[in-house]
Amino acid sequence: MIATNEAVEPMRILILDDEPIVCKRLKPAFQKMGHTVETFTESTEALARLRELHFDIVVTDLKMEGADGIQILHEAKDISSDTQVIVITGFATLETAKESYRKGAFDFVAKPFKLRDILDCVKRIEQKRQETLAGPTS
Amino acid sequence: MADGIRHWWRRMGGAGRDTAKEVSFWRLQALFNNFKRILLLNNTILEEMAKMERALGGEYIFDRSFLESSVSSIANRVHHVAYSLNALTGNRHIPLYDRYQEIRTLLDDILANNVHALADEAVPPLSSIGWEHESLVGMDLVCLAELFYHPWVDPVDGFAVTIDGIRALDPMQSWSIGTRGGSSKRLEEARGAIIDHLHHLIEDYPQEPMVVVATRIDADDEPLQEVGYFRVQADVQRSAVTLTRVDLETMTLLSQDEFSLADRRQGSSSGEEGKEIELLLHGLEQIVQKIALELSHIPYSAINCALFVYPQPPFVLKGAIQTRPLGDNPFGAVDGLVAKVFAPDGQEDAYLLRRTSPFDLLQSSIPTRPSGYRFTGGYLATDLAKGRRHLGHGTGLVEPGQLKKLAETAMLLERLYGAPLEVRWQLWEDKIFRITRLRPLKVDLELTDIDEVPVSAPVLCRGGQTGQSGVGAGPVFHVDEQTDPQDFPPGGVAVARVASPHLTPVLQRAAALVTEFGSAAGHLATVARELRLPSIFGLPAAVEQLPEGIDVTVDGGETRVYEGIVEQLLRFDASSLDLTPQHREYRLLRRLLRFIQPLHLVNPETQEFTAENCRTFHDIIHFCHESAVDELAHFQERHPALGTLRTRSLALGLPMDIRVLDVGGGLDAESTSMPGPEQVISVPFRAFLEGLVDPRAWEIEAPSLGMRDILAGMPRSMGLLAAPADTLGVNLAIIGSEYINLSLRMGYHFSVIDAYLGEDISRNYVYFRFVGGLADPERRGRRARFIARVLAAMEFKTSIKGDLITARLKLMEPDVLRSALFALGALTAATRQQDTNMRSESDIERRFVQFADQFLPAFCQGSSDTEEEDERC
Repeated sequence: MIATNEAVEPMRILILDDEPIVCKRLKPAFQKMGHTVETFTESTEALARLRELHFDIVVTDLKMEGADGIQILHEAKDISSDTQVIVITGFATLETAKESYRKGAFDFVAKPFKLRDILDCVKRIEQKRQETLAGPTS
Repeated sequence: MADGIRHWWRRMGGAGRDTAKEVSFWRLQALFNNFKRILLLNNTILEEMAKMERALGGEYIFDRSFLESSVSSIANRVHHVAYSLNALTGNRHIPLYDRYQEIRTLLDDILANNVHALADEAVPPLSSIGWEHESLVGMDLVCLAELFYHPWVDPVDGFAVTIDGIRALDPMQSWSIGTRGGSSKRLEEARGAIIDHLHHLIEDYPQEPMVVVATRIDADDEPLQEVGYFRVQADVQRSAVTLTRVDLETMTLLSQDEFSLADRRQGSSSGEEGKEIELLLHGLEQIVQKIALELSHIPYSAINCALFVYPQPPFVLKGAIQTRPLGDNPFGAVDGLVAKVFAPDGQEDAYLLRRTSPFDLLQSSIPTRPSGYRFTGGYLATDLAKGRRHLGHGTGLVEPGQLKKLAETAMLLERLYGAPLEVRWQLWEDKIFRITRLRPLKVDLELTDIDEVPVSAPVLCRGGQTGQSGVGAGPVFHVDEQTDPQDFPPGGVAVARVASPHLTPVLQRAAALVTEFGSAAGHLATVARELRLPSIFGLPAAVEQLPEGIDVTVDGGETRVYEGIVEQLLRFDASSLDLTPQHREYRLLRRLLRFIQPLHLVNPETQEFTAENCRTFHDIIHFCHESAVDELAHFQERHPALGTLRTRSLALGLPMDIRVLDVGGGLDAESTSMPGPEQVISVPFRAFLEGLVDPRAWEIEAPSLGMRDILAGMPRSMGLLAAPADTLGVNLAIIGSEYINLSLRMGYHFSVIDAYLGEDISRNYVYFRFVGGLADPERRGRRARFIARVLAAMEFKTSIKGDLITARLKLMEPDVLRSALFALGALTAATRQQDTNMRSESDIERRFVQFADQFLPAFCQGSSDTEEEDERC
């Protein structure tokens, strides 16, 4: 026997993608990690929810009708700078990746992606969050 | 004046014979570039196909745009491959464009959700249904048909009527409005097929009712929607057919109508059977009209329906297994399989079983039977049960063993279907259990119901690659190539050291698969994905860490194996965490792959290996690859004018002249007009030359020729002499940095070596052809067998016809291919006219041992079981 699953600090995650399949598949995967998840396929609804409630992580598609992923990223950071945003897109270019990082995205993931990759991304955010909460060690 | 200009023009190099040569050279280089492009494109296409196929396993998150962009990218490349082959062969494969266009149109239709375009089979029998029919018959029938490959319980024998068949049954033509429709001939054929299937069914079940289940496919994002359940009973004496409609949930009567054949037409069929068929057909027509009326609010072009028709003789027992308990289950259970059994006399039992192997009975609800009640088979409850010493049958309507088999089958069907199901079954008088119907269960498995998040069970091992995501649990059973599938416990977890394709039959019985070695891109992983079997490939030390007999839970997506049966994870799995056939994207992907991935054209030696027979993109690129290799293998014969090109002789220091044509990167830029082997930088040619110039290959005594040999060789030598003067006696090597095409005419034999040798294994190959000789046919045959023996030792796929040998070696590591080319170089030198020395069969073995000792050490190490054999391969 090599390990047992360690308990995690639950986080609140918002997923926004106009393709329902992405929300449908990501939601239970994050729930399985112990997090609370809300999904949206309309960016206006997601923006309204972001203004209502604090989310630790926002996973957003880039190309959508209405507000696009970059706007969501901008708004999410504006509302709460400690919200971490993961941008996912099926149309990844160097420019959009650069712009996402410049605007404060935690990560930029091209579709299709492995479920494990995005779960690792969330784990890294979780780790970073714990380090921040623990404060400087020296 | 004119002479002066001509002289100046020639002096400037603007015209003349040399320029013609240069033009030919560039054309030649373009041809080889086409070949190289085919290899490169094929490689990229295969990678893209593999990525699409792996996406089925649930490892990737993807959306529709991924499918659209993948299809577009693969299609463009396939078109490019077909174009490159035609450019290489002077447009000898034009039909490829037609095949490409047909497949591309089908793929576009699938993406546009136009399944009517796919209606190529109007009335398939259940036994012929596979995943390729899913969009036409529905996923329930695909899963049901899968039971033909599983040993425990049979599916009912019947046939499906797809949308094309429905049109053929529709006298009002309602179903043809707004659709592409079909020719009247096509509809007539469909009608004929329905008659044939009815004939087949009533042969076995004369005058029995037929059940007809109508379903809508892909309606409102639901993969399956039941529309109606009918019983059709023909009365030949009265020339009438009764149509009984039953409620799908409760099976209670909804309506009953009788139709007389005279209402429609005078029966034209003779004999009772003919009349019965005509009456049943009339019943089917009435059903089609009823459904058309009920669905008339929807545009018919948007409706995709199917009928499933099967016979309904009297049942002895029937029942249903729900793979998840519904709220009103008699046990108040939240987990397990709920089985209900009904006897024709109204007796009814209920059972609760475990969802994992060995599917133990957890609870039962068996009412008191009337005194002296006779069960199926005529026994009493107190009679001794077969195989259970001192034990009576008991009062259950079915045996526990039979229940377990039904439970195993229900769990297999749930996995294939990707969602909880109600599996309906019947036992007929022939004592065979048959599954008659699969119905999706509306069970709301909210993740919030799960109390322990995240999973806290101990992990036994983790790592490797996801073959198919999902969760499977059961007892561990170690398997290998020698495992008899019959020994494998149904619902067990198969743990193997190596992912061998021989394990395929085991997969059909397993609940999950774990292998220590092997990759998620391999054959076994593809099979696991076909069966939606949770699987992990390449999990280190799996066999050691998962001892036989212990219960484990395999999470394919997380690549973890947990100790015990982790109900929590199994419930997660059932909540559609993974990609399942319930997702539209999954079904779309599977439909697309049907026209992209399968390889039907395998053997280039058969007559079926033609452009017209390409049915998938994989067929097209494989056909192009094989045709391109064949073109180059015969290149110098088909392009005799090559002899006029400017070539350079190699300074080999051997009694043979090889001329070299460098098409790019084959010779050192500083090479002289007569380069030596050290100036050759073409990787495959260099390896070949090393073998060719090896002094050991030339240490063979000169053959002695008899008059018989010379006379036997006369027709051949005359044939060679009849060849174009340019090609006679020319040994020409067309070389590139990673390519060689070598034609050798040594004495009286002719050989071709065509090879690609780079770092990318998937593009590497060697093609070898050898024919001819001076000796009599018997001795030439011996030499052919000797060469074939050498090639076989290097694992070439070899065929011999008389003295013609063709051999291929593909997908090899660069080092292996380099060693093979070295050996071929040595073989070329060592076999010059050696046919004349092959005086007896024993010479073959003697020469092979000698050659293997000197030139095949790379292929002999560790390939044999004994030391003695190792010495000679």
